[in-house]
Amino acid sequence: MTQPVLEIQHLKLHFFTDKGVVKAVDGLDLTIREGEIVGLVGESGCGKSVTSLAVMGLVPQPPGKIVDGSIRFQGTDLTKASQRELRQIRGKDMAMIFQEPMTSLNPLFTIGNQLIEAVRAHRSCSKAEARELAREMLEKVGIARKGVLDEYPHQLSGGMRQRVMIAMAMILNPRLLIADEPTTALDVTIQAQILELMQRLNEEFGTAILLITHDLGVVAEMCDRIVVMYAGQVVEETDRYRLFRQPRHPYTQGLLLSIPKLDEQKERLYAIPGQVPNPYQMPAGCRFAPRCTQVMDVCRQTVPPLAPVEQGHVSRCFLHQKEESHHGTD
Amino acid sequence: MLAYTARRLLMLIPVLLGMSLIVFAVVHAIPGDPAKTIAGDKATPEQLQEIRKNLGLDQPVYIQYFKYLQALLQGDLGTSLVNKTKISEEIGPFLAATAELSFVAIAIALFFGINLGILSTWRQNSWLDYGSMFIALIGVSIPIFWLGLMEQWLFAQELGWFPSNGRLDPRMEYEPITYFYIIDALLFGDMAMLGDVLKHILLPAIALGTIPMAIIARMTRSSMLEVMRSDYVRTARAKGISEFLVIYKHTLKNAMIPILTVVGLQLGLLLGGAVLTETIFSWPGVGRYIYDAINSRDYPVIQSGILVLAFIFVMINLIVDLLYAWIDPRIQYGKE
Ligand SMILES: Nc1ncnc2c1ncn2[C@@H]1O[C@H](COP(=O)(O)OP(=O)(O)O)[C@@H](O)[C@H]1O
Ligand code: SF4
Ligand SMILES: [Mg+2]
Repeated sequence: MTQPVLEIQHLKLHFFTDKGVVKAVDGLDLTIREGEIVGLVGESGCGKSVTSLAVMGLVPQPPGKIVDGSIRFQGTDLTKASQRELRQIRGKDMAMIFQEPMTSLNPLFTIGNQLIEAVRAHRSCSKAEARELAREMLEKVGIARKGVLDEYPHQLSGGMRQRVMIAMAMILNPRLLIADEPTTALDVTIQAQILELMQRLNEEFGTAILLITHDLGVVAEMCDRIVVMYAGQVVEETDRYRLFRQPRHPYTQGLLLSIPKLDEQKERLYAIPGQVPNPYQMPAGCRFAPRCTQVMDVCRQTVPPLAPVEQGHVSRCFLHQKEESHHGTD
Repeated sequence: MLAYTARRLLMLIPVLLGMSLIVFAVVHAIPGDPAKTIAGDKATPEQLQEIRKNLGLDQPVYIQYFKYLQALLQGDLGTSLVNKTKISEEIGPFLAATAELSFVAIAIALFFGINLGILSTWRQNSWLDYGSMFIALIGVSIPIFWLGLMEQWLFAQELGWFPSNGRLDPRMEYEPITYFYIIDALLFGDMAMLGDVLKHILLPAIALGTIPMAIIARMTRSSMLEVMRSDYVRTARAKGISEFLVIYKHTLKNAMIPILTVVGLQLGLLLGGAVLTETIFSWPGVGRYIYDAINSRDYPVIQSGILVLAFIFVMINLIVDLLYAWIDPRIQYGKE
């Protein structure tokens, strides 16, 4: 099996605010291997963005603080790295694109300026060389039009800006690209194009991708492995075939039911009942218990462990233990 | 940028017209009789009538205004009642003195204001932040005349580090070229003179620049904190560039837009302050020129002096507007 590029172990990242402590990430494990595309899925507010920002070292501290766990990137523990070390890794070995293409580029500098800056932050080369590299990279992300380098962000559409962001992230050929809801703000046709582009870059450069989304439909297309998150924790993880055919966690099952399907003419779309828990007051036991249709007494008292349900498939639910004991008595 | 500049210049015409009308109206509303100023208290009514006729003061006000405007368009600012000199010929050096003082004051205000603001954002809620904002709070609260007098007392009288008034040591008097002494000194390549000019300008410029400095510092802080949270600053950090570039390139340039607005508004105050500062430091600028004219009831000089100050104000605002467009490419392309 290939080496892990990123290995997050038992990460706890909490925000210490005036109103109390938000346990945005609470004991998260996540591994991404060389060249792999991993999907991180979950409802809005479950801690996906915070997780990715933690990896990049971009969580505002204070109020954020990593209280436990480690983030190993190519062997270095980023939770112990200095700002200077983090700066050397960011943008070079590990890059990120964001949900908001409209606001992610600085409105006051040209596209060229911002791309060249990304190159020269890590590589000592002339402006002309960096500019040439920028031009080539823009071509690779599908912007062949001349003169874009001298244009300002407001002259480009959302889709184009996201392409520029991708070019900027990929320009130094990083080992890991984190894409936080890269297509959420774009319309459907553009969405598909951007995802396809990322898939192509993954094949061409062998860059591992962490694709973050709240939309299972997006990950179905292109992820090797899918990690489902709920309220700061991983609840299920497996490859995409098994996740879609045999989801084991009630939350995943609910998510799958709520994907609109073209062939079914349903009156109303299924929605998981209830709401995500108040981040200041997480349920004591299973965090999904207040919304779970199969909740049991034990769920309200004890936190279920993330345990294997079969080879390469883990889930965080007491139902699996019950099933096992059933099998035992049969 | 060129088209934008041209458009802004065209828009100046109505502004300048309105300005001339207001200044004219205000000066005419000042109680007192110019004819008495000229003829003195002992003049007979006939003599006064004669003088009024010569000055055109017997005509309807709107005719007076149009005559005044016509002269203005030809660059004629009128004639001093007291010295009988043409104002347009003697106002230049005063204007240069005020402009030089204001430029240095605003440069000091911008440099220290912006960096103080950045210092406090950089370490938000630390003693650096509180310290900087305390200085800013004191800065906005200090009356100019008090600060000016304190400076004179401490640095000129007690310590003797700086001269207390004037623009240049009288022994260094020279044949001015631009009447901007700093520029002239540079043109002559005379470092001794430059040093002396800077020594003279420092105290009044600090007195004049302190309030704008403090206001700019506060504005910089809030504006920087706002921009700091924006997505593109996060993108800049994600690239792994230095914190210096993140702050001075990506954040400050965006934060400058609201800061510039404040600077533009401060300039009106600054010109008002210039009159006060010039009086305290015997600075031979337009402020002093008007102050002396008021004492001698020299109406045309008062009128033209105010007009020139207002003109400087409008020009500085034009420069601020052009700076906006230069900083923010969206302004030139968009509708205003
Ligand atoms: N700067 C912050 N201060 C306090 N709480 C925060 C901050 N950033 C995020 N959070 C909280 O962390 C939780 C996870 O947020 P986020 O990672 O953005 O969710 P998502 O999965 O939608 O990306 C949310 O409850 C959010 O309110
Ligand atoms: S542990 Fe209990 S409450 Fe939680 S998902 Fe499983 S069955 Fe539902
Ligand atoms: Mg998010």
